[in-house]
Amino acid sequence: MKGLTLRNLHKTYFDLNMGSRVTAVQDVSLHIREGEFVAVVGPSGCGKSTILNMVAGFLPATKGEVLVGDRPVKGPGPDRGVVFQNFALFPWKTVIDNVGFGLKMRGIPKPERDRIAREFLALAGLTNAADRYPNELSGGMQQRVGVVRALANEPDVLLMDEPFASVDAQTRMTLQEELTRIWQERRHTVLFITHDVGEAVFLADRVIVLSKGQVLREIDIPISRPRAWDTVSEQDDFKRLSSEVLQMVRSA
Amino acid sequence: MSDHVEPIAFIAGPKRVWLYVRQAAAFIAPLVLLLLAWPAIVTIFDVSPRVFPGVQAVLGAAADGLRDGTLLAHVATSLGRVALGTVLAVAAAVPLGVAMGVNSGVSALLTPLFRFFSVLAGIAWIPIATLWFGYGFGAITFVIFNAVFFIVAYNTLLGVSAIPPRLRHAAASLGAGRVAMLTEVLLPGALPNIVTGVRTGLGFAWRGLIAAEMIATDVGLGYMLFVARDFYRTEVIVLGMIIIGIIWLFIDRLLLAPLERATIERWGLVQRT
Repeated sequence: MKGLTLRNLHKTYFDLNMGSRVTAVQDVSLHIREGEFVAVVGPSGCGKSTILNMVAGFLPATKGEVLVGDRPVKGPGPDRGVVFQNFALFPWKTVIDNVGFGLKMRGIPKPERDRIAREFLALAGLTNAADRYPNELSGGMQQRVGVVRALANEPDVLLMDEPFASVDAQTRMTLQEELTRIWQERRHTVLFITHDVGEAVFLADRVIVLSKGQVLREIDIPISRPRAWDTVSEQDDFKRLSSEVLQMVRSA
Repeated sequence: MSDHVEPIAFIAGPKRVWLYVRQAAAFIAPLVLLLLAWPAIVTIFDVSPRVFPGVQAVLGAAADGLRDGTLLAHVATSLGRVALGTVLAVAAAVPLGVAMGVNSGVSALLTPLFRFFSVLAGIAWIPIATLWFGYGFGAITFVIFNAVFFIVAYNTLLGVSAIPPRLRHAAASLGAGRVAMLTEVLLPGALPNIVTGVRTGLGFAWRGLIAAEMIATDVGLGYMLFVARDFYRTEVIVLGMIIIGIIWLFIDRLLLAPLERATIERWGLVQRT
């Protein structure tokens, strides 16, 4: 596990519709400590997904750099596990082969990677789904596989791009609780992107509010763990922090 | 026909078998009807064997052909030619299609060309093929190769470029290098399209082959038909036509269609409901 540093990150691109250069991300600097859970929240178009894509290495930065530990990022790599909004599971692979994919890339033989994959599947209650194909699973189940697939590869940093935005509200709350539970056991360094203020406050140690490609403010979330919706949603701290963040996002 | 076939894959057990039987019956019944009407019409209208043969004459021709081995030789030669041309074409088309699919510049340049030649594929190549390769093996292989090559390359290109970028991102972030990206993502992702391309291409190839054999060779089903015409052997012509149709139905219905359905289903392009 390592920390994650974003140093003076810029992204500009040429917008064909507007016929001019547009700044998506402007001078964003951010340090996520080893084992820290940071959520970046902001309205659509604020540049939060662009930041994640640059950190993941899917998109080159115009200026600035990203460091995992003290090593600069050049393109995608297994040191940064990514959980995608639309799951991005391989439809031609079974659940267990999806989860074992990163291990296969590292040359780990099939019996060993199946054993590891099963351990991680158990972590998310997916033991019975091991031999199913993704299209046979509900959205919530698919995203559990997505999370477990990233975790099984033992990344230094976990990047999550609005991972629960495309499941229904009840499932979303369950998945959020499962994520806090797993995170508490394993203490990954997490960069979590969302437009959902409640989700950001519920999950994170620290919330970054993003506006027009810039960091508007950072807020620490000192709510005790373990966190569960039943208790957390009643807490004054949670209500106060949520409304504070919400106001900032709405003014953004 | 194919519209009724798909749901069967989702039904298990004896009910599934029964559905297959019913479908097969529904397909064969009109053919049987035609088979019954044929001798009646030939008799009633007193059709000359030079115009159209009777059933018995065709059966006789089949028996003769089987006895002296010529029929089998024609069929085997034709199938061998299609197999060779198809294997060569697929081996060349898939790598090219993948290369085009991952490189948007190359694909923009070549896509219109491949679409054009996909439509052209088959019979239209015969005259130039015989000019280039003379009459025989080269010309026929060339015709089959072209019929399959352009369609498979074009479909592979479509399949690769239709793979969502997030799947390639996911693979890269899990440590996939160039080779693994090819074998684990691009090829399996494009496979349903590739199979569809092979199915369509083989259809063109089979028709093209028969036509090419009529002018460019001295053995094969197309040649058998063509020579029979010179001797007014209508029973051999009709026998050849029946065999050509039956062979294609077998290849397409029993081999290609199930393969295509299986990949498309497995890949989740058809959602199970």
